[in-house]
Amino acid sequence: MAQIEMKNVQKFFGQNQVLKDLHLTIENGEFVVMLGQSGGGKTTALRAIAGLETVTSGKILIDGKEVQDRKAADRDIAFVFQSFSLYPHMTVRENIAFPLRAVRMDAAERNRAVNETAETLQIAQHLDRKPSALSGGDMQRVAIGRALVRRPQALLMDEPLGVLDSKLREQMRAELKRLHIARGSTSVYVTHDQIEAMSLADRMVILHDGVLQQVGAPDEIYLKPSNLFVAKFVGSPVMNVVDVQIDGTRVALKGVETDFSFGEGMLAGLSKPGAGIALGLRPEAILLSHEKTKGYSEAVTTNIEPLGSHDIVDVRLGEAILRVRTASGFVGGEGQTVWVGLDTAQAHFFDNQTELNLRGAA
Amino acid sequence: MAGVRTPREKWTNRTAIAAVFLALIIMLTPIYWITATAFKPRNLATTIPPTVFFTPEVSPFVKLFTKRSQLREQPTQEEYESAPWWEKMVVDGGEKVVRNRKTGEVRSSGYSDRFKNSLIVSIISTVVAVCMGTLTAYGFSRFKVKGEDDWMFFILSTRMLPPVVVAIPMFLMYRVVGLNDTHLGLIILYTAFNLSFAVWIMKGFIDEIPKEYEEAALVDGYTRMQAFFKVVLPEALTGMAATAVFCFITAWNEYAFALIMTNRNAQTAPPYIPSQVGSGLPDWTVIAAGTLLFLIPVAIFTFLLRNHLLRGMSFGAIRK
Repeated sequence: MAQIEMKNVQKFFGQNQVLKDLHLTIENGEFVVMLGQSGGGKTTALRAIAGLETVTSGKILIDGKEVQDRKAADRDIAFVFQSFSLYPHMTVRENIAFPLRAVRMDAAERNRAVNETAETLQIAQHLDRKPSALSGGDMQRVAIGRALVRRPQALLMDEPLGVLDSKLREQMRAELKRLHIARGSTSVYVTHDQIEAMSLADRMVILHDGVLQQVGAPDEIYLKPSNLFVAKFVGSPVMNVVDVQIDGTRVALKGVETDFSFGEGMLAGLSKPGAGIALGLRPEAILLSHEKTKGYSEAVTTNIEPLGSHDIVDVRLGEAILRVRTASGFVGGEGQTVWVGLDTAQAHFFDNQTELNLRGAA
Repeated sequence: MAGVRTPREKWTNRTAIAAVFLALIIMLTPIYWITATAFKPRNLATTIPPTVFFTPEVSPFVKLFTKRSQLREQPTQEEYESAPWWEKMVVDGGEKVVRNRKTGEVRSSGYSDRFKNSLIVSIISTVVAVCMGTLTAYGFSRFKVKGEDDWMFFILSTRMLPPVVVAIPMFLMYRVVGLNDTHLGLIILYTAFNLSFAVWIMKGFIDEIPKEYEEAALVDGYTRMQAFFKVVLPEALTGMAATAVFCFITAWNEYAFALIMTNRNAQTAPPYIPSQVGSGLPDWTVIAAGTLLFLIPVAIFTFLLRNHLLRGMSFGAIRK
């Protein structure tokens, strides 16, 4: 197990810069998830740590040793590919034993290690079958087994659950978490699925256009997004963002008669003339009422998505459409008049120009 | 609906089967002709109309492997009786078997040597072309090569010229360096000729092997060379087998270069067989026998590799 550090890492593919001055420290035993859109640089960052991609400049340290110029084979890390990439001409046993053969471990010890890994991952009954005879979940277990059998310094995973169906993905997610807790290996996990990221991560790393957006625990990222990108990228449904005018303790939305009032000092230093300020509200930060309530504004429902445990209701407030999370069946149908209020503690303010959270990041 | 066919579909199906049979008959006719001629007595080989029913005999094969001369006078009864069965056949055909004057051993025709030359040259050049082609294709497939498309086109362009065009200059060059009429000379020629083909075919196959296989091996502690041999090569075998079949057929059947570059030592079967037409009266049965034997190795080789020619056995362990 080891700490992984990236210092000033830059990566160009021709003219195209995919990693921009990346600084990141992954602590020993930590489960870090890199989250971002495709093309955001997360896979490139992971491959750079693995040594499958060279970096243009900067340093990568594993366990305090510089490895950016070392071959992948000499970095003592393991990698799980999205495609699993099990060798079709080898049995499951041979696949798992493959990394051990590279270090010329003797046969008895190798067999013991393979059996032990297979037990842990519950694939012992498949050891003598070919990968093509396995289900997707079992293939993935074998791929993880092949990665773990050598007890590497760190385990790197590139969207390992990406090709599984959603039910299996949920199950494997739980297994991965259990495995991480049991083994405590330093793990770096790349995904574009935020639920996967939030449920697995000790810390999340959000990458966009090769630039690190925010690093933090899942709840920090969710509750205190550092900028508009993170705010909109994390959370489902997407955070509502509307342009507002701030005057003292009051926040005005375009086309809405009543201003929303905030507590004394909550908007201190936010009345920024000119540049413009955006108000960010998660669907659960918006409150609905059937009756006229003080501080609430009148709105009309336009769409309802019943999701069983809760509903997502679209309301037209002034010029904006807001998505609101309500209890199931709270709103009967489209076209109803409701009253909209804000949970001011959960409001976020962003500078429209810099896109930064005006309250600062977590 | 599966299994249920409308009358119209039935007729389409029958027509298709009939067409396939017709094509099959047209394609198999030359094979039948060669086979029949190889077992005919000489006097029935060139009759008009062709003789269909005859008593097959093996004298063409006996004649194929022995050196013979015209019989000037009939052998005595005693001599005839004491000769082995196959020698009687030759005598019955109006020829006698040529023997070494000192040892009395039967002198063989050039056919078996030419056949051996064909095997040596074809097998070695195929192996070399497929190995070099695979390595080259791997390089083009996995590494960034500057001007990759131009190089690939350049490699292919070596096939654009009819080989006969370069035969004379090649012959002159070979004479200078002493490669004419040698096995090595032909092997180099055939390898060079097949290499471009092998590179192109193998590039297609290797492109389809996911890069992740090697990357997994690289991360797991192997060098690229080890990863190539342990992971890529087993996956590429199907493609290599298919490529080998094509290269072997090309080398085995090659005529023009063999005719020009070789005459005695390294001559292969293709220029030898027709050369028998010109020696004395053409004996078509012998030529047919030589041709029939010449067809067999390609058939066996292709048959042995038939499983590899069917694609798809290696796919399924990668999810996309």
